[in-house]
Amino acid sequence: MTDNWTVVVGIKQVPDEDDVTIDPDTGTLNRAEAAAILNPPDRNALEAALQLKDEVGAEVIAFTMGPPTATPVLELAVALGCDDAALISDMAFAGSDTWPTSLTLAYAAEYFDADVGIFGEETTDSSTGQVPPGIAAHLDWAQLTYVADLDPRPEDNQLLATRDVEGGHEVVAADLPVIVAVGYGDNDPRPAGLHRKLYAETEFEPMELDAEALGIDPDEVGLDASPTQVGGMDTADPVEREQEVVDSVEDLAAAMAEEGAV
Amino acid sequence: MTDSTDNGTESADDQPTRTPPPAQPNYDNTFDAIVVGAGLAGSAAAITMANEDLDVLMIERGAYPGAKNVFGGVMYTPTIRDLVGMDGAPIERYVGQRRYAMLTEEDEIGATVNIGDWHEEPHNDSFTVLRGDFDEWLADQAVEAGATLITETTVTDLIRENGYIVGVETDRPEGALRAPIVVLAEGGNSLVSEGAGLKPAPDRKDVAVAVKEVIEFPGDSAQVIEDRFRLGDEDGAAYHYFGEGAAGKSFGGAFIYTNDDTVSVGLAYRIEDSITQGINPEKRLNEFKSHPAVAPLFKDARTVEYTAKTIPEGGAEAMPKLVHNGALLVGDTAGLVLNNGVHLEGTNMAVESGYHAGKAVVEAFNSIPATERTAGATAAGGQTARADGGMVIPSSHLQSYPDRLEESFVVKNLEHYEWLIHRVTEDKELLFEELPAALADAAAEYFAIDREPKQVHGARAKERVLGTLGGLRGLVKLGWRYRKIVR
Repeated sequence: MTDNWTVVVGIKQVPDEDDVTIDPDTGTLNRAEAAAILNPPDRNALEAALQLKDEVGAEVIAFTMGPPTATPVLELAVALGCDDAALISDMAFAGSDTWPTSLTLAYAAEYFDADVGIFGEETTDSSTGQVPPGIAAHLDWAQLTYVADLDPRPEDNQLLATRDVEGGHEVVAADLPVIVAVGYGDNDPRPAGLHRKLYAETEFEPMELDAEALGIDPDEVGLDASPTQVGGMDTADPVEREQEVVDSVEDLAAAMAEEGAV
Repeated sequence: MTDSTDNGTESADDQPTRTPPPAQPNYDNTFDAIVVGAGLAGSAAAITMANEDLDVLMIERGAYPGAKNVFGGVMYTPTIRDLVGMDGAPIERYVGQRRYAMLTEEDEIGATVNIGDWHEEPHNDSFTVLRGDFDEWLADQAVEAGATLITETTVTDLIRENGYIVGVETDRPEGALRAPIVVLAEGGNSLVSEGAGLKPAPDRKDVAVAVKEVIEFPGDSAQVIEDRFRLGDEDGAAYHYFGEGAAGKSFGGAFIYTNDDTVSVGLAYRIEDSITQGINPEKRLNEFKSHPAVAPLFKDARTVEYTAKTIPEGGAEAMPKLVHNGALLVGDTAGLVLNNGVHLEGTNMAVESGYHAGKAVVEAFNSIPATERTAGATAAGGQTARADGGMVIPSSHLQSYPDRLEESFVVKNLEHYEWLIHRVTEDKELLFEELPAALADAAAEYFAIDREPKQVHGARAKERVLGTLGGLRGLVKLGWRYRKIVR
């Protein structure tokens, strides 16, 4: 290994799940009104990548596939310490499910000539967990999933991963290039430095990459290239529950006895 | 998407027009001023400075400006109207009705003030607001004026060099940032200013504790509010309550303000009374809300928010030194809050002080030629330059801030009511407990319906009040003691 490693981190902007409400009239989720935040597990992915930067001087580039309004998550990535960040955006990507999404991100990993691609274990807005393994499959790279900790071995061109398994943990080695999915909450993400935060929020403009730049045929991606079909959606009506206020423990006991519950 | 014709090759560095991020960005001395806290005072200062082309950085510890603010009350807006206009300001209702009432444990004696003019623009510049929203809006105006805002960053200390404040330390990694001027607008709990020795820790008698609930009603909450408080679509009510039924045996009072579809209800009293009188704020607020004269207003209400804060209220005497070498204190940090029972004002003084502080900084910069503002310059008057060659501004160049404030209503009001606070403290039992009880009894007597003639009831009512005050002489003395209240 002569050059430093290039590590790419895939991140995503998602609606804040604490902020998502249900429209009482339609029963559907009000995703658009919720605040847009960085997918929480991606914090752990960024931290794992930045630790590789600290340990072996890797160059870390974050990217996100999404509309230009997703730029704030790239700013956050740069604020935290990523060397650069790219917005992967094209109308051709619209409606992509996990298959063309992982294909697109696979192209992006190749575009940056990555040695390591690091991702969160899943996104909180769709929770499939399919994308990191999908990227590895498209690229035919090794994959390390549900990773708690990474141990870089540049001299062996290998990445060692500690994975939580039932009853303990295991250490697995993979030859580069490799795709890593970091377990949610498995490391302690750092705060952004003051000057980097200022730079990221006031001056930073991400690289912009479209399908053509990544060498993607528009027919390979988007809704038409997505095998998932949503057959329909139903909302379940909440069951009206009887409510009764009792003033004391004695009353509660009596009421329960009356119902034959005790 | 931008044009990407140059990106056809598989190379990461093929971006000719774009500068990649620097390895170690550094913003030391790139801002003219750092404002600590993006509340009303901080944003007003930032707007004033940014309007004059100074580079201003606002550092806010909350997730957004206003996130740490619990104020829900009346906002007085003349200065904000001058600075940025009121278009788009998140006001709840204009204040169309005020009520002042004395509460004993069971009775209420009050007066409602409803002035026709208040219903016309600009509505006496008095609006109910929720500061969580209002502060965010005002900070947005500062950003629009050219200021930079960063959030979720707490200033922990000030950087000093050769007797000058030359920047701030924050809780972030590599968190020191230098700038010629620091405006401290950190609020009533001013830990940075106190920690840096710019103001003494306040005496407990100079600090009030305020608790507030935001209440909503089931169904059409706005309609319920309008019915109960006799309001139209846009006007609101501001109720102030005194006496034992409001704040118990403490120096303070309770308030109710109507928002658009919620109501802010709370009380404020000296924190000292929490200790000496054993008053629990949450319990006291519930007692106030269940007072027979207040409870009907809150029938079926639901609490959606409960908050508490401290308010500095030492008046002009407790005001710290406002300018230092390289720093200014504004708003609550400077103790600029007026709470004399009748007037409960701090927000307009915060804005006013931020404005005057901003003006003073602009004047200080203008007094130093632009060519001398860069590295190595000293402030006019041959002051010591900083080790890093950055510019310094001595407190003498900022003196116009306290001078302007002195001339403004802010300090005049504080001084004018200083005596009132002292008097009311001395007469606390008479004013808050004995007199309200006597008035309630007298009113009950005066309006009593039985077989005795009105004259007899009237005489007894008079006797009850005068008895409490110490006869006619007592009434005259009391009138004299409080004569300045109407001046």
